[in-house]
Amino acid sequence: MTVPAWRRAALSVAMILLACLIAVPLYYVVVNTFKTQGEMVASPLSLPTSPVLDNYREVLSDPRMYRSFANTLYVTVVSVVLQLLVGALAAYAMVVRTSRLNRILANLLLIGFVVPGQSTLIPLYRTLVGFELVDTLNGLVVMYLGGAIFCYFLVQGYMRTLPFEVIEAARIDGAHDWQIFWHVVLPLIKPILVTVGIFQSMWVWNDFLLPTVFISSPDKRTVVLQVYNAVTEFTTNWPMFMTVSVIALVPMIIFFVATQRHIASGLLAGSVKG
Amino acid sequence: MTTLSTRPTAGLRTSGTRAWLSRPSGGWRQSAANKAFLLPAIAVFVFLFIIPLGQTLWWSFTDFTGYSPEAAFVGLANYRVIVTDPSMLAGLAFTLLFGVGTTLLITLLAIPLAVQLNKAFRGRNLVRSIWFFPAIPSMAILGLVWRYILSPLESGALNTVLGKVGLGPVSWLSDPTLARLSVILVGVWAATGWHAVLYTAYLQSIPQEYYEVARIDGATPRQQFFGITLPLLTPAIVISTFLLMTGGLKVFDLPYTLTTGGPGFSTYTITQSIVVSGVGQGRYGLASALAVMFTLAVAALSFGQLWLTRLVEKRFA
Repeated sequence: MTVPAWRRAALSVAMILLACLIAVPLYYVVVNTFKTQGEMVASPLSLPTSPVLDNYREVLSDPRMYRSFANTLYVTVVSVVLQLLVGALAAYAMVVRTSRLNRILANLLLIGFVVPGQSTLIPLYRTLVGFELVDTLNGLVVMYLGGAIFCYFLVQGYMRTLPFEVIEAARIDGAHDWQIFWHVVLPLIKPILVTVGIFQSMWVWNDFLLPTVFISSPDKRTVVLQVYNAVTEFTTNWPMFMTVSVIALVPMIIFFVATQRHIASGLLAGSVKG
Repeated sequence: MTTLSTRPTAGLRTSGTRAWLSRPSGGWRQSAANKAFLLPAIAVFVFLFIIPLGQTLWWSFTDFTGYSPEAAFVGLANYRVIVTDPSMLAGLAFTLLFGVGTTLLITLLAIPLAVQLNKAFRGRNLVRSIWFFPAIPSMAILGLVWRYILSPLESGALNTVLGKVGLGPVSWLSDPTLARLSVILVGVWAATGWHAVLYTAYLQSIPQEYYEVARIDGATPRQQFFGITLPLLTPAIVISTFLLMTGGLKVFDLPYTLTTGGPGFSTYTITQSIVVSGVGQGRYGLASALAVMFTLAVAALSFGQLWLTRLVEKRFA
């Protein structure tokens, strides 16, 4: 059963045209970073007559840009590593030992899985004020630790599909829980850790709500906050704003290209029902 | 992206009681180690979920402001304020509209798109990547970019294009109805590709023989779609709409960056209400009451939807 060649070509043309339409906003942003302010106002959608690199030169010479990248990287790496560690430890303990207490706890943890972050925001804000963690990067890390419950659920779902004879064997050989976890379990659950890690990294890196509530000092801004503030800073200089956006997007694009395969498989792993 | 983050349902299965190692070999020491492993997660759960949830609930019945340490019990007064406050009602209304609107539109667009993306054609990988791409950057940045595109000024890209064909300028973000529509459509633009990719993953698991048999029996493509594809996609629809609905109700970044909730309160969201009244104005009692109502609404909608879709699923299974 083969599709005629002309229909295949027609589909190809139609789909590519549609994709181009979807990509117009992205084109708009990128193309205007190479224009002067005047040229952008005159012709926002055309290619630059003579590309200028001044916007990039200016944005890249701004130390605040680098600062915001370093801040975001710190918050993302520390909080995602901690989330994965806390989640994986709990998952291992729960899967290995199904005591009554653990079963009750597993059901309780569902609360942390379904409750929206908005419902705990106000009390946590006050608590963090008390601990002098507001307007600090570590305060953000603490807030993002809540994602550990999500990690726990995905990791334990994956763990239940594993051949646990390996762990039994390690235990008979006299390995301690910590040794088993570190040397046997972690390597086994690496695929799910990668998948969950990617999704949590994207959440933390891209988050706007928590930084905008918790961060006020310019030198503690995350990348997204830096871009947000660029709007007020460059009220009339649109090309400068576009350039800040593009530079903020570059790490995400690299991340996307590098992890695309995992994202696709993660969509399946995470969503194929259990 | 926070609005449509992946909170898949795989984790919901907690009761897979295949007890490989459940027997308490190793005695108390092993049990202690087991508890030690659980300790960090329990700490996170207690300090980041249970205690603040309790505080939110308690504060919602008080006039707590944060400026004075005393808080008097005021019963349902905060709840009464919410149902009469125009900004909070507007936030509630638009949040619901956004949740329902994006869920419907994205589902209606993503399924046909997935069917097309699942066919072989030249440039398919590129097309798929382009559709998927808006799910990668922060919704806040995308909202800001769209603010420029939809700008009422002549240099706004869309109005420039419209101007070239003699239309325009349309006040996309300053007219209440158009502003609501703009926020929803940008949300649809950003998430349709992501959900289409989710659907293609499921499409690929439908055996081709079904279609061959249907063709031999003389079924039209339309009949094949409604008779085979759609029923077999039900599990994917369950997950996709669940993620869209819960994510849509939590929306904040996109309206906040695109319209800052305006004009007036026409694109105000519940989350923005909570942040502004709670953190901004220190009206903890009021913000907490709103948070309680919001949590109940999200829970009710989530469970209701799950129940409904399970029902539909059973019918098709």
